[in-house]
Amino acid sequence: MLMISPRMASGMQEKQYTPSLLSFFIYNPKFGPREGEEEKKILFYHPIEIEKNEKIRNVGLCEAIVQFTRTFCPTKPAKSLHTQKNRQFFHEPEENFWMVMIVRNPMVEKPNKDGKPPTVEYQEEEIIDSVYGSVLQQCYSMYKLFNGTFSRAFEAGGVELLTQKLEKFFYRYLQTLHLQSCDLLDVFGGISFFPLDKMTYLKIQSFVNRVEESLSLIKYTAFLYNDQLIWSGLEQEDMRILYKYLTTSLFPRHTEPELAGRDSPLRPEVAGNLLHYGRFLTGPANLKDPDAKFRFPRIFVNTEDSYEELHLIVYKAMSAAVCFMVNSAVDLSREFCEQLDSMVGPHLTLLASDICEQYNVNRRISGPEKEPQFKFIYFNHMNLAEKSTIHMRKTASVSLTSVHPDLMKILGDINCDFARVDEDEEIIVKAMTDYWVVGKKSDQRELYVILNQKNANLIEVNEEVKRLCATQFNNIFFLD
Amino acid sequence: MPDARMAADVHNKGVFWEVKNGNLAPSDRLRQDRSDSPTPGLVEGTEPGAGQEGAMFVHAQSFEDLTAVSESNTDDNSAEVGDSNLESAQEAALEGGEEESLEAEQEEVGKEEVQSRKKAKEEDVTSETWRSHRKHVFVLSEAGKPIYTRYGTEEALSSIMGVMMLLMSIVEDKKNIIRSIHADGYRVVFLRKSPLILVGVFQTNCSDRELTRELQYIYYQIVSLLTLTQLNHVFQHRQSYDLRRLLAGSEHLTDNLLRLLDRDPGLLLSAVMCLPLASSARDMVSSSLQAAKAKNLVFSILLAGNRLVTLVRKKDQFLHHMDLHLLFNLVGSSSSFRAGEGWTPICLPKFNPAGFFHAHISYLEPASDLCLILVSTDREDFFNLSDCKKRFLERLRRRNAYQSLQEALNMPSYPVSQVGIPELRHFVYKSKSSGLYTSPDLPAPYQGEEELERLMGLYQQLHSCLHNPTRLLRYIYRCADTENLYALVTSGFELYLCFSPLGTKSLAVSAVNKLLKWIRKEEDRLFILSPLTY
Repeated sequence: MLMISPRMASGMQEKQYTPSLLSFFIYNPKFGPREGEEEKKILFYHPIEIEKNEKIRNVGLCEAIVQFTRTFCPTKPAKSLHTQKNRQFFHEPEENFWMVMIVRNPMVEKPNKDGKPPTVEYQEEEIIDSVYGSVLQQCYSMYKLFNGTFSRAFEAGGVELLTQKLEKFFYRYLQTLHLQSCDLLDVFGGISFFPLDKMTYLKIQSFVNRVEESLSLIKYTAFLYNDQLIWSGLEQEDMRILYKYLTTSLFPRHTEPELAGRDSPLRPEVAGNLLHYGRFLTGPANLKDPDAKFRFPRIFVNTEDSYEELHLIVYKAMSAAVCFMVNSAVDLSREFCEQLDSMVGPHLTLLASDICEQYNVNRRISGPEKEPQFKFIYFNHMNLAEKSTIHMRKTASVSLTSVHPDLMKILGDINCDFARVDEDEEIIVKAMTDYWVVGKKSDQRELYVILNQKNANLIEVNEEVKRLCATQFNNIFFLD
Repeated sequence: MPDARMAADVHNKGVFWEVKNGNLAPSDRLRQDRSDSPTPGLVEGTEPGAGQEGAMFVHAQSFEDLTAVSESNTDDNSAEVGDSNLESAQEAALEGGEEESLEAEQEEVGKEEVQSRKKAKEEDVTSETWRSHRKHVFVLSEAGKPIYTRYGTEEALSSIMGVMMLLMSIVEDKKNIIRSIHADGYRVVFLRKSPLILVGVFQTNCSDRELTRELQYIYYQIVSLLTLTQLNHVFQHRQSYDLRRLLAGSEHLTDNLLRLLDRDPGLLLSAVMCLPLASSARDMVSSSLQAAKAKNLVFSILLAGNRLVTLVRKKDQFLHHMDLHLLFNLVGSSSSFRAGEGWTPICLPKFNPAGFFHAHISYLEPASDLCLILVSTDREDFFNLSDCKKRFLERLRRRNAYQSLQEALNMPSYPVSQVGIPELRHFVYKSKSSGLYTSPDLPAPYQGEEELERLMGLYQQLHSCLHNPTRLLRYIYRCADTENLYALVTSGFELYLCFSPLGTKSLAVSAVNKLLKWIRKEEDRLFILSPLTY
């Protein structure tokens, strides 16, 4: 991505380039151990145009680096390589299967006088390892969610099937990476939970129970409202990546036609002859269509033990979305889908408007929101709960933050610091730009606050954060 | 004549630091602003500890500023240097000559040093112990030949060093430069300083920038023994030259420097600590040194252990703090200078990497920690400098200054309790304009080697956070189970405070002002405010 910097030197433009993906490859050193067979190691390589020997050389360097670091710690090989122009990230998600992502450092191109080629300056300290390391791990998790593990594919159909799957998946997935806007939220990979009163929560739970009881094919259910999770029957790690897929890929693709009326309760006259607002986001777009296909995406969960393959049915009414997961061995018929639609549709529509009403009542009670003096990110490692007032919107393409990227990098630095030790810690810094950044880590929870109070001192900032904790996280104890 | 050239070098007006240093001397206006209650907002040159007569050291904001300039400078120098100089450099190191003292020194290296060196050497490089060292450093030639390793033998590690060389060149083949490899819990940092390659494996949280700085120190340590000119010459002659032949017996210098890097905040802050001394006594010592001058004398330095008592320099000549640290290291790692007067060629690479100075090094008394270093441009100056020392000692004794000096030396530096700030365990304060720092004695929890290195590690980490060039910070306050740390940087000073975990934020905030006030009150004693020249 190219951005023209506002600073223009004597009419000549300085160009600022954000980090971008240079290459991405997957290899297994065991697949071509003999000299002359090196190409066999390579299972996937992006960009595809790269010349064969160049690919082999690049893979060779990665192997050499991993091997080299084993000299110093056999169990903890290299995770990243820093060079002047780029960063390479290494990840071995399954034994001997290595994924490598190469990201170009951000750079500034300064034009030269007298027709000389422009000077390029690489900004070597901009990229934060933990952020892009997490992006690479996420690539694997997402692949695994839809394709299962590398080794299963290899066992089932050899290298041929595996490379086929890899190409099919990564060809499209890599285009959605958007490396320029990755930040701390990618490190957490958290789930945003929808705040709810007990009554409504019970209603949802009984709804889930009822559906699972009547449609016994359903193995797992997850309930979301407004892109936020309310209930999930999946294991945490599986839900984490499914949540990522739903909120950054599936939901944004189906921008709601009913979005306009979201905040108002159900108005049957608008609905016309429809009995409800429910519809399938995966599978058949229109049940009435005689040619409708009843094919659903397949996902893989619990790959560590039971290794389950499931149909993913996502059904949505207004802002409420429910994922129903059914064993993939079962063929899903038109009858099943109609049954589900007629049972879930009206119920979910009602439930959605209930939640909406409840939500609005709660909002009114808490009073009109005034622009707070601070912004924060909260993450809980135990339940993966995440909350950010820094990010205005998070979609597949961009994560819009309301603070300067340099401040986000300070957050990243503090997070790295926290990750190194187990004990509770607090860090308060004042940047040269006079912003205050506070990081607190307490018993698996992390809180980051950015304050824009230039004239405050350390004590006042501390008081401010205490107040924030009292109002936003009154039931959570933070080290003082 | 080489001597004439060296002298000319010293007087060369075009050297880089003079420009740098042009505005470092505080102006008259600033001098009047020495408030008794300094606040963190003060201007550079008015902070406690700022010199009144101008700076003693060359210093720059960042380390790289200097290296960058000095490198281009080096090229110029070596271009200027005539054949005569090359010959002399070779003559010096290859044919003995001035090497003698270095060799003599090797023989006399304390038994303890040899033993620890041996122990480190005998280690099995595939063992867990070898792997578990917190800091490995490897030096190799551009042909991949081992030159130095901190642990294990170069022979046993030659294949690993070969791989390092290879990794470096694979990346460079793509018109790129390898910087570092990161793994869980450790990182490998690469630095090419032609004709040498330095690689460090560190189990630390510091930034690559800090670690590269440590490798630079090792590089300059080697240059200080040989000069860059000679180093280049040797490898131009024969790429596969085994540099260990020239460096034999000097490994303990590098070993010791690595220890200093872990323990001495001066190397981290690019600053030097002074021996606390009443200003009248210090002035007496300084003026005695000033009076004991000789034609080719450039620097007279009096050390007490790793603390500076005074430094007198030739007018217009500045010493770089790194060169001074290398001198500290030379003195601190060899017991041979205790035996009598030492005479050794030494290159001060930040001053001029192309030529040797000649240093007269001796302790004032065999049992004393006071060590005098007289740096001359003339290799035949031994007897002149020996005479300088005698004159200096006579003067000291005549004025009864020697006694007070000895007393100051026997006293512990000062306990942190003297400052009177509750829960404050330790601090490091650096005055930016003078390049000097002060720090109290280490309190009980940090007296063990491991704990000391842990504290220094924490300071180092704060230092890396504050100085990350793309996200500079003003303050950082960090509270954890073992201690609360507070660090701040202003245009005038850098300050690192370590509180017990009971220390509060409001205490930390008030501590800064209180401490600045205290340092102002004590600055006569803690700093050298009026450095002298001859």
